[in-house]
Amino acid sequence: MILLRIALPAVVLAAATFTPPALSPAVAQDAARGAAIAAERNCASCHGAAGVSELANIPSLAGQPAEFITLQMILFREGLRQAAPMNELSQGLEDQAVEDLAAHYASLRAVAPPDLAPRDAALAERGRALSTALNCGVCHLPDYSGRNQIPRIAGQREDFLRHTLAQYRDSQRRGTDTNMNAVMYGVSDDAIAALAHHLAHQPARPE
Amino acid sequence: MVRTRFAAAGMLAALLLAPAVQAQQAPAAAPAPAWASGREGSGMAPNLAPHAPRLTVTPRDQLPLSSIRLPQGFTAEIYAHGIPGARMMAEGPNGTIFAGSRTIGRVYAITRNADGTTRTRTLLQGLTQPNGLAVLDGNLYVVAINRVLRFDNIEQNLDNPGSGTDLTAAFDLPTEEHHGWKFVTTGPDGRLYMNVGVPCNICDFDRDRFALLVSFRPDGSDRRIEARGIRNSVGMALHPQTRELWATNNGRDWAGNDLPNDTLHRIRRSGEDHGFPYCVGDWADPGAPAQRNCSEFEQPAAMLGPHTAALGMRFYTGTMFPEAYRNQIFIARRGSWNREQLSGFDVVVAKLDGEGRVTAVEPFLQGLRDDANQRFLGRPVDVHVLGDGSLLVAEEQYGAIYRITYRQ
Repeated sequence: MILLRIALPAVVLAAATFTPPALSPAVAQDAARGAAIAAERNCASCHGAAGVSELANIPSLAGQPAEFITLQMILFREGLRQAAPMNELSQGLEDQAVEDLAAHYASLRAVAPPDLAPRDAALAERGRALSTALNCGVCHLPDYSGRNQIPRIAGQREDFLRHTLAQYRDSQRRGTDTNMNAVMYGVSDDAIAALAHHLAHQPARPE
Repeated sequence: MVRTRFAAAGMLAALLLAPAVQAQQAPAAAPAPAWASGREGSGMAPNLAPHAPRLTVTPRDQLPLSSIRLPQGFTAEIYAHGIPGARMMAEGPNGTIFAGSRTIGRVYAITRNADGTTRTRTLLQGLTQPNGLAVLDGNLYVVAINRVLRFDNIEQNLDNPGSGTDLTAAFDLPTEEHHGWKFVTTGPDGRLYMNVGVPCNICDFDRDRFALLVSFRPDGSDRRIEARGIRNSVGMALHPQTRELWATNNGRDWAGNDLPNDTLHRIRRSGEDHGFPYCVGDWADPGAPAQRNCSEFEQPAAMLGPHTAALGMRFYTGTMFPEAYRNQIFIARRGSWNREQLSGFDVVVAKLDGEGRVTAVEPFLQGLRDDANQRFLGRPVDVHVLGDGSLLVAEEQYGAIYRITYRQ
């Protein structure tokens, strides 16, 4: 019994240190080109000059995994995820431009938005317990920094987290699979608020 | 009373449910994601999760062509590329190759130029996992999740396919998204054959609605259950001589690194029961809703390896390859996610004897699985025999179709 308890976390630890199994080809993603495209398309007017959003319900993009941004942009462009005005704004972006934009935002430093509400200890604690119960850290990683197609949620805007988690619950939003819809099935509004509060107050760049 | 019920349902339910909901209905814990059900207690690394698809174009010079290994005399070349997420293939009478997809929602059309190069078009887009394709009498059938469309005389309309004829209501397929993507093939009887997967990993479900192989007349009428108890088949073909239906099947997840195997099934009579969720061969699944005697069920024709994701399959009907390949089955194995060591990521051949018994499953296309680094370089998802006897292999991860030729 004791052996089993020790062996199990060891497996977890070993697996967690593996590199992702997909061998990414050396794609010529160019963050500088991406910055130029972001300027040309005026992405900053909503997502913030350094990719840190100051507008309600608009996500911060700084420090997101490039693969996550790429996949979401393709879903917008192809009309597979409806989120005005992004469906319109993503038209005409070739795959290379999408990957460059993703490299640009992935290269920016994640920081909390300036208008982050003060931390409510009780609400944050409830959110922490919920996050443990829902296994958020398994896919998003224990520090919530994200990986591959799975976004960084540490330090994301609290109002956006509330908005998007409710959208998953209500089947108004899809990812590259239906995992998040199933995770959020039946989760109440106040539970979502606690989760969002906890995640928004996680350090955007853990030490 | 309410408090007691909540204690029994556990902390999670108590945390999640809003007071208004508590007052109205008995608490129910949120179901696990369909792909993760059964994960608890499996003893397998809990961070195993399906691999992310790549939805952008991979340049030709970054495709893993040089890594592909084949038996002596066979050569691989790039037939088409720049088609993100390309999956199941169907061929039109004039030689157009159609390729479906899942996440990216597209159907591609690949035509051959006079100089032997190919041209690719995005024929359709914005569909929900249009994985199932078939061409019958020059008409393209596209089966997305709960949507069936027919595009008449498709090869005359590649630049303007229109929105097609909607046959969704006639086919009346289940709407469940998980395992709701389809594989479709045509039979010599003019019928369309397809799968209806089970909307979970393993669960109690209606065995007349899910985990089936079914066939229809092309207008969606006359549904017939060809086989039941087949968890999720994403590859099937009718034997060129016996006309028996054969199908690959994806075994369930979270039962262990080596349990159960993916399987190959031979359907001798319509309506046979192949055992899911109760048995895989002689292995009675302890996670099944009930325990049954496995001798009640048809046995798999072959074991195809644990978690290998055996998908598209075709009988080899060409003459280019050596005679030993005639009427043998090529099977694309997309590769595992629910296994701590990668398995699959290749194409194998199931060797059949004169009685239709599988005598061996042999490697054919290899080199896309990097065991030393536990990485993969590609995910073969379907195979297709061209008229000249060469074999197409669709690779989903980097969006390419390879052509395999043989020269003595």
